Amino acid sequence: MSKTYYLPQGNEVELFKAAAGMNLPVLIKGPTGCGKTRFVEAMGEELGRDVYTVVCHDDLSAADLVGRHLIDENGTYWQDGPLTKAVRHGGICYLDEIIEARKDTTVVLHSLADYRRVLPIDRTGEVITAHPDFMLVVSYNPGYQNVLKGMKPSTKQRFISLTFNYPKAEIETEVIVKESGVDQKIAQKLVAIAGEIRQLSDSDIQEAVSTRLLIYAGKLIAHGFDPYQACIHSIVESLSDEEDVLAVLEKLISLHFIKSIHV
Amino acid sequence: MDEKVGKFWDHYVTKKASRLFKAEEVTFADIAKGLKLFYHLLGGEKAKELHITDKRSIQTSRTLTERFSGTGKTFFLAWQDEKGIYLPASLAYFPAKTHNKMHYYWLIAMLANITVNRQNISSENIRVSDLLIKKYPGFREFYTYSQRYLREYYPELSTIEPSLEASSVDNYPNPLWIYPPLASSNKLLSSDDEEEVHRQRDEENKTEILKMKKKSEQIDDKKETDGLLLFLPESIMSLMEQVRVDRQENDSFDEDALYNAEDLEEITLGQKDANLSARIKMDLDISANSVEEYPLGKGHFIDEWDYKKELYLKNYVCIKSIISLHTEPIELPKRLQKMMRRIQSELDLMELNRIKRDNLPYGDEINIESWIDYKGHQNRSNHPQRFFQTYERKMRDMSTLILADVSLSTEAGITQEIRVIDMIQDALMVFSESLHRLRDRFAIYTFSSIKNTKVNFHIIKNFKENYSDTIRGRIHAIKPGYYTRMGAGIRESAKILDKQQSANKLLLILSDGKPNDVDRYDGRYGIEDTKKAIEEVKKKGITPFCITIDIDAKEYLPYLFGRNSYAVIRDAKKLPKVLPEIYMNLTK
Repeated sequence: MSKTYYLPQGNEVELFKAAAGMNLPVLIKGPTGCGKTRFVEAMGEELGRDVYTVVCHDDLSAADLVGRHLIDENGTYWQDGPLTKAVRHGGICYLDEIIEARKDTTVVLHSLADYRRVLPIDRTGEVITAHPDFMLVVSYNPGYQNVLKGMKPSTKQRFISLTFNYPKAEIETEVIVKESGVDQKIAQKLVAIAGEIRQLSDSDIQEAVSTRLLIYAGKLIAHGFDPYQACIHSIVESLSDEEDVLAVLEKLISLHFIKSIHV
Repeated sequence: MDEKVGKFWDHYVTKKASRLFKAEEVTFADIAKGLKLFYHLLGGEKAKELHITDKRSIQTSRTLTERFSGTGKTFFLAWQDEKGIYLPASLAYFPAKTHNKMHYYWLIAMLANITVNRQNISSENIRVSDLLIKKYPGFREFYTYSQRYLREYYPELSTIEPSLEASSVDNYPNPLWIYPPLASSNKLLSSDDEEEVHRQRDEENKTEILKMKKKSEQIDDKKETDGLLLFLPESIMSLMEQVRVDRQENDSFDEDALYNAEDLEEITLGQKDANLSARIKMDLDISANSVEEYPLGKGHFIDEWDYKKELYLKNYVCIKSIISLHTEPIELPKRLQKMMRRIQSELDLMELNRIKRDNLPYGDEINIESWIDYKGHQNRSNHPQRFFQTYERKMRDMSTLILADVSLSTEAGITQEIRVIDMIQDALMVFSESLHRLRDRFAIYTFSSIKNTKVNFHIIKNFKENYSDTIRGRIHAIKPGYYTRMGAGIRESAKILDKQQSANKLLLILSDGKPNDVDRYDGRYGIEDTKKAIEEVKKKGITPFCITIDIDAKEYLPYLFGRNSYAVIRDAKKLPKVLPEIYMNLTK
């Protein structure tokens, strides 16, 4: 399998490696599609550790993380959850969008995230001391915050924090070229469009265009799609449902990539 | 009859002289929203507003028909200043609608990139045009077409060549160019003038405002005359160009003046203050009633953000905390009781939103999972045997601070009997009642200001006080007055919220309009300071949310609060009902 492509933007790789070496948990903040998950996957490969990814949501219970008893023909048996697996055998447990999880669920992380590094499992009566290669990584998107959905300060203060943002123009261009197969010039155009759309974020549109969407656009173009059409379907339509906003974004795309007549 | 013929002739000759394609015209009003977004897209400053510009006169050679018809002297040109950008009300230079529309977008793109003054007008416009056509193939297409077309159709434009250093405003104006600010050479009443105490609020009680930037000139009209007319009234053939459009007063709104002002080329401003401001001042000084406003201490100072200097003015604003004494405790007014009953049923629904508690020795339901656990356990005697689960009310752990704007503008009437302030009072009562029943912690403050020297910060209920008849009495005693220095109010509230121990903190701002004060705290300055204050609030981990009853407010609110942090209520009468609903949605 080919290695996950990740281009560092700053000192995040060194910091992550240092944290892994010192058994410190890491919190990654950043907007949608800026490369948080990709980074963790790349780090997992780099460090030679498995990555157990859990996408958090409203109904995620502690049992979903830790594990539960199941029944088969021989009776009941215990099944480890992703967190327990990582704790037992080593690896990176990555909780994506941790803010979405219920607060009483994330409390199970407390004893793992501090100096104790243990996971008590009430149901089996076990107290597992974390494998030396176990690492806890959580991420969230600060843009999504609802009044009652902040991260508990007591949880937040157990992590080393990294803030991600959309990559710098040159880096983003390189990523798009590598990931989608378009040429440098088209990639630069896509990055320029993204740069302009990102000026609208927060005030006029909820969330700006992600690197991921730019790669999608690049892939469509590399596949032979008309650049204008590719941008409309992968960038414009995904960003808003409001007519005014759509019209202006469309205008912007048409200024960068002239609409071809036969389409 | 004479008049009719004259009108007809004028219409005919003007039409003949005009080279515009009226049928293909695109108006600013139709695409204003899109233009604004486009301006933001290209990195234009978000606090700037888009306006329609007025004609400006330019000395240039005219064709015979133009001279005949009296046209060709004035032009609608695009320009900008600190506060906004100004565009023609309509564009029709090209024979196709798409090109006329594109013309607007072109001007916006130019404006987002250019800083132009009287000296660099030609070089700057050429530089930015080049930049745009290099970056955007779409603009390149438009530019090549329009250059060719305009040169052919307007031979006068051939005088504007990149090589001609002498190009200036006085050439035939290029419709694709951006021009220097309209009033740069005139001495205008500076909005930064801090001595200008008597000026009234600009938009107060107006049904209509002149949304057009006018060239202005100031005259010295302070000299008293004895009223003797030195000319014969019948010699006035046309509308005098000295119509009094009173910038100083706005109580008596003269619609004729507004109508005439639109037609005028230049507006002359007088410096004489209307007597009205003196009267208003007296009104403000009269103590309202027996309720005594008691200041708590001498007040303290906080910072304010100056966007021009890009720094905080340290200890610039004086906050005066005030509490009303001798207010009469009252019960929830009868008119609100019915509404409260309705809201209560919604609150009950919220209480259903509870969390599950597992593994209890007793409880509402049997938890099958823990039963399976028990069955699967090797050593059953050691099992805690807790097979029950129950649902408990969610711990909300909320602190909410409501900050209400009680500036004089809230005195404005919604109907003959109801004023905005009445609705704010009702809303505060219903809302307090709801929060009290939800058992969420909350505090209520109101604010109003007179310049930076006095921001009244009125305590209605602090976090420690219990909600009671006394609090209702204080809400009832709220009196509107003065102006809206919103940044200061927000900073002070954030300080109070920051001290609260709750995990979730909400700052609810209840306002009826833009930030404004008599000094420079108006327009962009006020908006930028408020925005900064909001950023500070967010940094403290407090969630700000603004509820406004200003219909025009949508323009600047996303810029101030971010997209999902505000609500506009078009009908102020609905405020008491809507406020608790918004809160419930926010904290569900």
